[in-house]
Formats: sequence, C-alpha cells, structure tokens
Amino acid sequence: MPEPATALSTLTAHGLLPLAEVSSDFFRDRSGGGCIEENKLFCPGWVADNWDRYVDPTLQHLVLVGSAVAAGFLIAFAMAILAHRNRWLATPFLAGTGVLYTIPSIAFFFLLLPITGRGALTAIIALTAFNLQIIFRNITTGLRNVPPGVTNAARGIGLTPSQMLWQVELPLALPEIIAGLRIATVSTVALATLAVFANGGGLGTEIVVGANITFKTGIIVAGSLAILMAILFDGLLLIGGRLLSPWQRAALS
Amino acid sequence: MPPEPGTPRAAREQGPNPDASAVRFEHVSKRYPGSGVDAVSDLDFEVPAGEICVLVGPSGCGKTTALRMVNRTVEMSSGEITIGGRSVREGDPARLRREIGYVIQQIGLFPHRTIADNIATVPRLLGWDKGRIASRVEELIGLIGLDPEMADRYPAQLSGGQQQRVGVARALAVDPPVMLMDEPFGAIDPINRSRLQNEFLRLQAELGKTILFVTHDVDEAIKMGDRVAVLKKGGHLAQYATPTELLMEPADDFVEDFVGADRALKRLALMRVRDVDLWTAPVAMAGDPTGPVRQALFSAEVPHAILTDRDNRPLGWLSARDLAAERVPELPDSIADPVLDADSVLRDGLAALLQGSSHYAPVVDRRGALTGVLSVEIISDFLASDEAAEPDHGAADRPLA
Repeated sequence: MPEPATALSTLTAHGLLPLAEVSSDFFRDRSGGGCIEENKLFCPGWVADNWDRYVDPTLQHLVLVGSAVAAGFLIAFAMAILAHRNRWLATPFLAGTGVLYTIPSIAFFFLLLPITGRGALTAIIALTAFNLQIIFRNITTGLRNVPPGVTNAARGIGLTPSQMLWQVELPLALPEIIAGLRIATVSTVALATLAVFANGGGLGTEIVVGANITFKTGIIVAGSLAILMAILFDGLLLIGGRLLSPWQRAALS
Repeated sequence: MPPEPGTPRAAREQGPNPDASAVRFEHVSKRYPGSGVDAVSDLDFEVPAGEICVLVGPSGCGKTTALRMVNRTVEMSSGEITIGGRSVREGDPARLRREIGYVIQQIGLFPHRTIADNIATVPRLLGWDKGRIASRVEELIGLIGLDPEMADRYPAQLSGGQQQRVGVARALAVDPPVMLMDEPFGAIDPINRSRLQNEFLRLQAELGKTILFVTHDVDEAIKMGDRVAVLKKGGHLAQYATPTELLMEPADDFVEDFVGADRALKRLALMRVRDVDLWTAPVAMAGDPTGPVRQALFSAEVPHAILTDRDNRPLGWLSARDLAAERVPELPDSIADPVLDADSVLRDGLAALLQGSSHYAPVVDRRGALTGVLSVEIISDFLASDEAAEPDHGAADRPLA
C-alpha cells in the first residue's frame, strides 16, 4: 500500500523535506468496512479516528498565517504612510514589493535557509514578503481615492496632516485596506501549506504525508481545513470591515 | 430682505457683529513655483467687518487663490493679509484655519461621520467639552433648518442642498469672525441655489460675519455681495465696488463686458417696488357716483381708475364704459391683474407688467391695501436716473430675488 514517491524521497534524503513518520498505526480505522483496503478517495471512518493528527498542524498554520499577515500589514502600512507623505517613494516601494511578490515561495525558503535556518521563522518571512505588495497597493489606492473635496475641506477647517490621516483619510480608505487584507489572508492560508518545505509546520505537513502514499483522505482533510480557515478569516475580515464602516451601508440605502 | 417681524432685520439694525473682523489684503501677490506669471497680482483692498465681499471673475483670474491665501491653504508670495489687524502669517496655519469658517463647492463633508459629528469637527479640534458641543450642534442644526433627526444620518443620505447647509453649519460651528466660501452653491441646481442664497443672506443678517465669497457668476456676486471685487486674468483687481456702483459705473471695458450688456436690467434686481415713487390712480368703491371719478381722471398720473373694496384692496380697473353709468358698478370690466407686492423687486414687477401686457399694475402692502401704481414708465425713468447709484444697500437689506 504505501509507495514512496521517488522525487520526494530524494528531497527527504537530502534533508530538505522533513517527512512525518508514517507508522503502521497511521492506517488505523476502527470503523473498519474496508475503506482503506479498497483505497477509496475519502474514508470518513479514518478521519474520525485520526482527527487529532490535525490539531497541531492547524494551530501552526494559524500562527503562520496570523504572523505573516500581521507583519505584512505593519510593514506595508508603514510603507504606505511614508509613500503617502512622500509621493516619490510610491514607485520604488511598488517595484520592490512587486519583486518580493513574484519570487516563488519555495525558492524564497531555500534562499533564506542559510540565513534564518529551517523553521517557522523562515516560512513567516517569506510569506510576509509575499503579502507586502497586495496590502501596500490597497492601502495606497485607498488613501488616493479619498475625494479631493474632503481633504481640501479637512485641511481648510484646521486639521493637521496627522489628524487628517488618522481621522479622515485612513477611515475612508478602510474598505480598500480590508479588501487588501482579505486577499492577502486567503492567499497566505494557501501558500502557508508550503511552509513544510522550510520545516515550518502547518497543514502542509499532513499534505506531504499524503503525497507520499496512495491513501488520499489525509490530503483531503488537510486541504479542507485550509479552505475552512481561509473562509473563516475572510468572513471575519468582511464582518469586521462592515462594523468599522457603517457609513458605507448608509450610502447605499 | 423683507422685514420679517422677527429677529433678522432687528439684528441687522444693531449693525455688524461686534466680534467680526475686517480682512485686509495689502499688496498681495502669488506666483506658483514653475510659473512665469502671477496667479494673483498686487491685490490691495479691505473687506469691512461684517460685510460680504464677493470675489468674481472668469476662470483663471486667481479668485480662489486669493481666497485660499486668507487661511493659508495657499501661501502668498509677497504682501500681507490681516484679519482684525493681525497678520495671518503669525502662528500655526492649522490653528488659524480653525478660527476661519470654510465652505467649498464640493462641500467636503466627511462621508464616514454623521451630520452631528461633521458639524462637531472644529469644536472637537478646539477641545470643547461634550455638553457644549452637543448643544452647539443642536443649535446649528436648528439654525440651518434641518430636521433634528437628521443629526445621526450620514452625508450620503442627504440631498445636495441639505449637505451644503451642513457644510455651512460646520463652518459656523465655533462662531468664527470670518468665513471663506468658495463657490459654495456652485454645484446646486438653480432653484435650490436661489433658495440657499436667500437662506444664507437671512442667516448673515443675523450673524454679521465678515465673508469672502468666490463665484464666477456675476448675478450671484451682485445678489450676495455688499461689495464685489472683480478680478481679471493674472489676478489683477479690475474693480472693487458695491453692486450698484458696479452696474452704474463699470471701471473699464473688461468690467462692463463681464457685468454684461443687461447690467441696466440687473439693477432692477437691487430695488424693491416700494423703493420707487409710485403713481397714484383715482379710486372708487362700488356705488360711488362716477362724476367725481371722471373728474379726477383729468389730472391723474394714471389715466384709469381703480375699483377698491372697503379695505382699500384693488378689485379691478374701471373702464370708460364702467364710468359712463351713474354709479360705479360692482363688477368692473377688467379685474386687477397683475397686482404687485410692494416687497417684490422691480425686475419681477417689470416681468409681471410685460407678461400681463398692461402698462400699469396696482401695488399693495402686506395687508393687500393699495399703496400706488407701478408703470413701465416708472421703471424706465428709474433706470435713467441716478437713484440706483445709492451705494448704501447692504446685501442683507437687499431684496431677495
């Protein structure tokens, strides 16, 4: 039944891919029924017996996504504010984050290995770098889309530049900022499954286990958990954004 | 404005707001970086405290630049602007701006804040306590005639006219002595614009602010201004005068052209029917003997007699046939139409005369009693006379067209 895939074995042999031990215990299915023996695509009985395998990877995944999005947001936010004050910075920032966005994540992991070593930190750095472009672009667009009449009036009635930023421009840019965070979060949930290649844990570990054998239920479970996590984050951001911008619905009514 | 039995006129008669400050331009010029010519060139004039000064001119004449140098949203290149004798260049621009009301064409309400919060912006910046802010907001919402329950709505839920009223309320929040208004009614449809203009003049009669008002519309300038500064390209002041002076004696061809070929007619919007010497017509009530009426017609200014009721209200014109009878009939040949309100402006009076294709129209006071007769001749005599040149008509005293 378990058949090693040669390419992955090679990676493992070079110590680049940490494969979880697949013990004989792995194929435990107390509900029986021959689902595993028949090698069906999805065996619910197996899931019922093995759900605890996914607790730690899920938590790791949450940490990966949470840290990468939070760090990406903080850095991109600072860059966007700088570029807002000094317009000439916008172009180099956009180009720089664009390059980081385009580097394939796995290549990034391997490039970082000599510097940050193997582990979650490497994965988080790469995922953060990937996020910057999306978030930066959205904050910048949001700030730019504030109607000129509003900023003209705000300045004219005596708001200082920082009052204008925090009280007028950022609140009005919020819908775009939230939209950027939603895209970044969902992409990061998906990309974080590659963290396993940097030994960064997460749901990717369970997917790689599944990749190594013909039994696919594990992949389906890990993948579904990632999808659920993406939907959950997306929904939370959507609701949070709505709550923070009640005027938007007023504008439509 | 018509003397409403109430506050506005009474307030106006107390003179300008003692807190208002004169705004003085002293040889002010502005040249934008990279431009070879001045946007504003050597502006030198004073807006007396409590008056509305309208800056008017074609696009590119620097009127908005001139306005914005007062609150330093544009910095002047040379010269000096003072408010109440104090240079605007002293101190922090943001602090200066909080003491100057600012209303713009795009209104610029904060879409993410409720109406109440929008109005409360400057009081909050100045650190007023909550109770004071709340009562001021309530007062202002009343002042601009908005329904109090609008306070919790967002700007997008209001009509353009309502939004502009809120923009004015926001500018008035801390009762600034000076207000800058940059085409404030420019984006409003003509009917509502006229209404907003009238409302604002009524408000100004009460508040007596010193106001700089920018428009490209000469009719608006004449209607709103106590004084009008006409600017021409390059930011040169072509003329600074009262609306009447502007219409009577344009300083040069540019001003004459800008004011328009119909400037004589425009003057008619500055005077009310009761301000001119009306003619008298013989009057009679039903049942009166016709003899004396016929007699009176020989020496009367108006060659027709008017039938009135017991309260001296005009009912109609008596024709020769009516007067051929022994007694004045109850129903005259022609009813009195149009009848003019003494408070209406001469322009509307002329329009009514032309529309009714009659030479004469009875003029009545507020109770409807006859006070005289307006004729086309009176209007043409008025236009030919110097009477329209009396320069003392403040905008707030002026009829609302």
